[in-house]
Parts: sequence; C-alpha cells; structure tokens
Amino acid sequence: MIGEVIVVTSGKGGVGKTTTTANIGTGLTLKGKSVVLVDADIGLRNLDVVMGLENRIVYDLVDVVEGVCRLRQALIKDKRYPNLFLLPAAQTKDKNAVNPEQMQKLATDLSEEFDYVILDCPAGIEQGFKNAIAGANKAIVVTTPEVSAVRDADRIIGLLEASGLRNPMLIINRIKMEMVKRGDMMNIDDMIDILAIDLLGVIPDDDLIVVSTNRGEPVIATEQSLAGQAYRNVVRRLMGEDIPFMNLESDDGFFKKMAKLFGLNKKKQ
Amino acid sequence: MAENAVIFKGTKDGLYIILKEEMDLDTIKYNLDKKIKPSKRFFEGAKVMNFKGKELTQEEFNELKEVMEQEYSMTVVGNYSDKTHFVQEERSAVKKPEILEQIPFENVHKGEALIVRTTLRSGQLIQYKGDVVVIGDVNPGAHIKAVGSVIVMGTVRGIIQAGANGDYGAYIVAYKMQPSQLRIGDIITRSPDGMGSKSDNPEIALVEKGMIVVEPYLKNK
Repeated sequence: MIGEVIVVTSGKGGVGKTTTTANIGTGLTLKGKSVVLVDADIGLRNLDVVMGLENRIVYDLVDVVEGVCRLRQALIKDKRYPNLFLLPAAQTKDKNAVNPEQMQKLATDLSEEFDYVILDCPAGIEQGFKNAIAGANKAIVVTTPEVSAVRDADRIIGLLEASGLRNPMLIINRIKMEMVKRGDMMNIDDMIDILAIDLLGVIPDDDLIVVSTNRGEPVIATEQSLAGQAYRNVVRRLMGEDIPFMNLESDDGFFKKMAKLFGLNKKKQ
Repeated sequence: MAENAVIFKGTKDGLYIILKEEMDLDTIKYNLDKKIKPSKRFFEGAKVMNFKGKELTQEEFNELKEVMEQEYSMTVVGNYSDKTHFVQEERSAVKKPEILEQIPFENVHKGEALIVRTTLRSGQLIQYKGDVVVIGDVNPGAHIKAVGSVIVMGTVRGIIQAGANGDYGAYIVAYKMQPSQLRIGDIITRSPDGMGSKSDNPEIALVEKGMIVVEPYLKNK
C-alpha cells in the first residue's frame, strides 16, 4: 500500500495551513483512514498545540532524520482517534536541520504505513518550503480572500508546478459571505479566475475555529460548526466524492431565517 | 575655593579625613572649621582614624590633632607614624579575600551550576553538564537539559530534563510547576490533559519508586 502524500501550503503566513492540516487529517481518520500529520515547520512548530498533543513530544522529525530514534518512536498517537498520528517538528532547531532528500525519504517511509501523509508546510518559499514539498505527490494551497494572500498563493502555485506538483487544489479560508455580498471582500470566482486551479473547498470564517484551536480539538469533529461542515466536505472531495459546495448564505442571521420560515409555512398553507 | 580641600570619608574601619595635597595648613584648618562648625554636634565624639592625602610633618599632624580634639571634641585614633602603614593596608585590602570551603556536614552535593538570568522562550534549548538555575520563566517550547538538577525561580511551562545522564537522584524545583513535560533520568511524565490543577506554591519533582512525583516544596504553606 502506498498512501498519498499531501502538502498543505500557502506562501503567506496566518491563512490557516495548520488548522487545515489538523482538520483534514482528523476528517480523514473519521472516515476510517490511517493518517499521519507531519509538522514541517521546524523551529516554529504549532501543529502539536492545535492537536492538543504538545506535552507528549519526546522525539521529533529532526531526531528521526538524524537517526537519534526510530520513526515509530517519534510518532505521537492522537488522544482521540487511534488511526491518527503526529510527527512533530523540532522546536530548538531551524529549517536547515533537514534537507529535501531526507524529507523525501521520510515521506516515502510514512506513505508505506499510512493511507494519508499530510505535511504542514511553513510560510515562505525558502528551505522549509522546499523541504515540505520534496516528498509530496499532491498539494493543497490555502488562501484567504485578501489580495496579499492570493498573490502569495499564486507565487506558490507557480513554484509547485515548477517542482512537478501539478494541479494543486485550492482551499479558500475565512470567507465572510456577508462581506462578499456587500462587495467588501474578494469573491470566490475572482480568486479562482486569478489562481486558475481546482477548488477543493471554501471554509467560512467561524469563531469556533479559535475556540477549538485553543482547546487543541480540531473543529471538524464539532457537528454544529459551519467551518467543521465545510472541512467535512473538503475531506469527502479529497477522497473522490462529488459534493456540491454548501450554501454559505444559510448563515444569514435571525431575520432572514425567520422570513424563510414564514415562507415555508405559507407554502404549506 | 577649595570645596573639597577637606573630605570626610567613612570606611569600615572608621572615619578618615582626606586633605587635598596642595593646601597649606591654614587653608586646611579654615576648611575643617567651615565643614565641622555647622554640624558640630554631629561630629562631637567622633573617632577619626587618621588623615590622608597631603603629606603632613610631625608638627602639622600634632597641630591638626590638637585642633580636632580641643575645638571639635573629636578623637584622633591614629598616630603620625601609623599613617603610611594605614595607607598600605588599605591598598592591600583591595585583594579579594580567599573564600575557603566550609561545609558543616558530609555528603553535600557539589557540582557546577549554570545560572541563567532571563526568561527562556520557545525554541531555546539549554544543555549543561551540571545543575541549572533559571531566574525567570521557562516558557512552552523551551527545553532545559541538565546532567544535574534544575531550579527555576519562576514558572515552568516548557520541558525540563534533569539527570540527563540517567541520574534518578536529580530533581526539579520551581516556583510554579506547570510544565508540558518533566524528565528525570529516562523517566518521562507529562502534565494531565486539560487545564488540570494548578498549584500556586513552589513544588519539587523527584523520582519515587520509579515514578516522577511532584509535591509541594513548602509543606506548611
């Protein structure tokens, strides 16, 4: 069995790479897949905190690459899901502690044992980015509806294609539909026009993301969260299902919901 | 003129009067008078160890001594002949006294300690062959790896590793113990999931029966 190796990248920082990695990983494991999340952000690790596993780290990615420990020893089993593992980054080293060849070998080793290997790429286009994409055979580009994030995503897509990672998939994160409607935020079609890659999902801005990140519990497991629902759809699309994009405008507010309710009632009458 | 023609200098031995070198005796006497008169009560009965600065002749010394004792009721303890002796002694006293080891009981752990007087932040790693003392906090993501014991005069939120060469006798003390992980020798513990219970008192972590236990360091508080 050779699993898929997916890198989650963005160029710009703070757009939600780590959150996306955690949620997609958790989502895939909820679908019965075995998943390993790899934090490639050496020196600025965060994925362990988002997963709530920070106090279990003994060995890390650099220890594995340097042969200090075996791969199995460094993998941290998630506290909720038995088929989800994390390979944490080292915090006291920097990106130059590993090279792309080592990452490639690591990704290959992991893909032999897991259905999905998801790499959380650091921001930027330097060594850390080159390391993270070295072993990947699929890429997910995360962006937010801001010109700066879209420009960086465009640059990243170019670099991915140059290194042989064709057809990356796009996730638009933190969209606020009411702002888009007012024309205050870039809309989805504009972004797809510029970036010209397949859309994997649109994640609405959701306060629950902050809560879940601070708690170390990915939001995808929260039923009532809109962002969680969006991530669940992303996961199903990633597994090859054809899921229509959800209507994000359903979150319109109290009055519209009431109006809809009355509308339904009228029809019934 | 001559603001500091006469300077009073207190040392641990007593009071010295430093006389400016280029002053003649009359100026000195005038200045002494000017300084002492306004606070005569204060100087009354004071012991002057000796004069310093200007080279005095035997007569000048005696004259000054008489003035001090008669007019200001102060006592001059030193003698003219002591003068050079005193100066020399002070110079040699600059040499640091040798600190001798004196330990009242045996079996005291002696080692080298590294003292870090700053807060350790995420990504900072301290590895040391002896004990480590941190005057500051150890933040999440910071890592201390000591062959000896670790003492933190602050809050521990990161990873502390004591007895890194396998010494189960090493211990970890902190003002506030909220570590993500503690390791002593090859034993590892992590804090319980969730917020857990936080103690506001200093705590000590040590190995008991093959397990790391954390207990209050000040039991009666």
